[in-house]
Amino acid sequence: MRTALAMEWEKLRPVHKTSRTIALAIALAVSVSALVALAVASSASHMSAHDRLTFDSVGISLEGVNAAVLAVAAFGILSITREYATGMMAVTFLAQPARLRVLGAKLLTHAGVAGLAGAGACVAAFAVGQTLLSTGGLATGWSAPQLPAALGGGVVYLILVCVWGIALGALVRTSAAAIIMSAFLLVVAPILVQILPASMVQQASRWLPSQIGVQAMSAHHDPHAFAPWTGLAVLAAYVAITLVAGGFRMVRREP
Amino acid sequence: MIEVSGLTKRYNGRAVVDDLSFEVRPGVVTGFLGPNGSGKTTTARMILGLTRSDAGVATINGRRYHDLSRPLCELGALIDSGGVNPSRTAVEHLRWLAAANDIARSRADEVLAIVGLDSVAGRKVGGFSLGMRQRLGIAAALIGDPPVLILDEPINGLDPEGIRWIRGFMQGLAADGRTVLVASHLMSEMALTASALIVIGAGRLIAAESVTDFVERAVSSVRVRSPQLDELEIALSVEGASLWRDGDALEVVGLSIEQIGVTASRAGATLFELSPQRASLEDAFMQLTCDTAQFATRRQAS
Repeated sequence: MRTALAMEWEKLRPVHKTSRTIALAIALAVSVSALVALAVASSASHMSAHDRLTFDSVGISLEGVNAAVLAVAAFGILSITREYATGMMAVTFLAQPARLRVLGAKLLTHAGVAGLAGAGACVAAFAVGQTLLSTGGLATGWSAPQLPAALGGGVVYLILVCVWGIALGALVRTSAAAIIMSAFLLVVAPILVQILPASMVQQASRWLPSQIGVQAMSAHHDPHAFAPWTGLAVLAAYVAITLVAGGFRMVRREP
Repeated sequence: MIEVSGLTKRYNGRAVVDDLSFEVRPGVVTGFLGPNGSGKTTTARMILGLTRSDAGVATINGRRYHDLSRPLCELGALIDSGGVNPSRTAVEHLRWLAAANDIARSRADEVLAIVGLDSVAGRKVGGFSLGMRQRLGIAAALIGDPPVLILDEPINGLDPEGIRWIRGFMQGLAADGRTVLVASHLMSEMALTASALIVIGAGRLIAAESVTDFVERAVSSVRVRSPQLDELEIALSVEGASLWRDGDALEVVGLSIEQIGVTASRAGATLFELSPQRASLEDAFMQLTCDTAQFATRRQAS
């Protein structure tokens, strides 16, 4: 396993796409958080006392992290699909014939990078969000009691999405198909759910990965949704199922 | 040493490789010859554990590929000129391979120098010509300094200078005492490079012997020229030869040079030429693969 990890790390290190993906994720998180915070702060004068009391300063500041999710998913997906597309996967298996070990090494290295990028994105988004929210007197600052859980939830959410991307890549093998599937799950599904009868929307949307992510990073919990860590456990179950299917396909099917 | 025994692969019920057994010995370049689609690449991929066999085993110095702890140090393979992420540089590609098998990082630069790519080590592979990619693939095969090499169509995409280089290079590897198996559909190339042959057709073994033995097995004809060609033709036919006219000459099959000479003398024919026509590797290949194709059809019919 040590050499498999060394191999994946050496693959990851020089490719500028890695740093570009991470930079993109952080930039997306920061800019979307800034926009949302700016919009909220500018209308702060119209907020009632009750609104101010229930205002989720942490959640709004971390709003942008939801935008970074696709970049992180693509990072996971491309780590596998690019190898299949270029025929490099066969060379990888020549160097490391135990395919599940290769998959495991990919998961660990990429999850590590996604975790660091996720932490950077969450902290940067929060810092920028708070600065802008403070112009409307809506900042809660670094001492907010819910902050550690929200930041941790955000990082775990991004790590799970990255692992899901790798699992999807192993399952479908082509970049386009895997990216469309992840975009469907993360972006299109929340829109489609709105078509359901009003009574079912909340029941259904608690199962959505995007909803789980929002809940993991908010300070005030929607009673209809899963609790943050329950939601992440549900997401982890999705990831595990995809991973088993992807691992099976990787071992069974050629190359 | 590569040992293949009873190797079989079926796709949709059709055997692409059919109960194939052979040995590849160290010290010589062994050509793995067969027409396109005869199962060479599938066989190579089964030896390398990339394709699952339906029956039989392939071992490298007695062990299956999956059981090698540092496979790149036991067997180097060139499977196709792809296999490289185009946004990576040549040296980066070799470094992750080195890392995968605990090989020193500096070895990446060494093998680039061996294949003559040291000047482009830091360039992205996406800008490489087919010939440069082929050289990079060979560098990758050498990264673990393996005693066994499998090269699938190594001269694809190489320019004449590159072809000459790789011929000498493969012979040098064999002279070092390594086992070198070179799959190719180019018989003329194998005639120049290989001294042993494994010939397959439709997934079955046709021959496993030295190049000279293989060529000798092919039917050779004798070319005869004479002013009394008509008389000679009748006399030779009576002796049991099969023959055909080729301009002002006769091509004779089935009689030795001595027998033809004696027959000509008895018939009172003057000979202007009596020369054995050596079959080329290509002729030998065509004759033998043709036979197996007919054999296969007959077997299916019965």
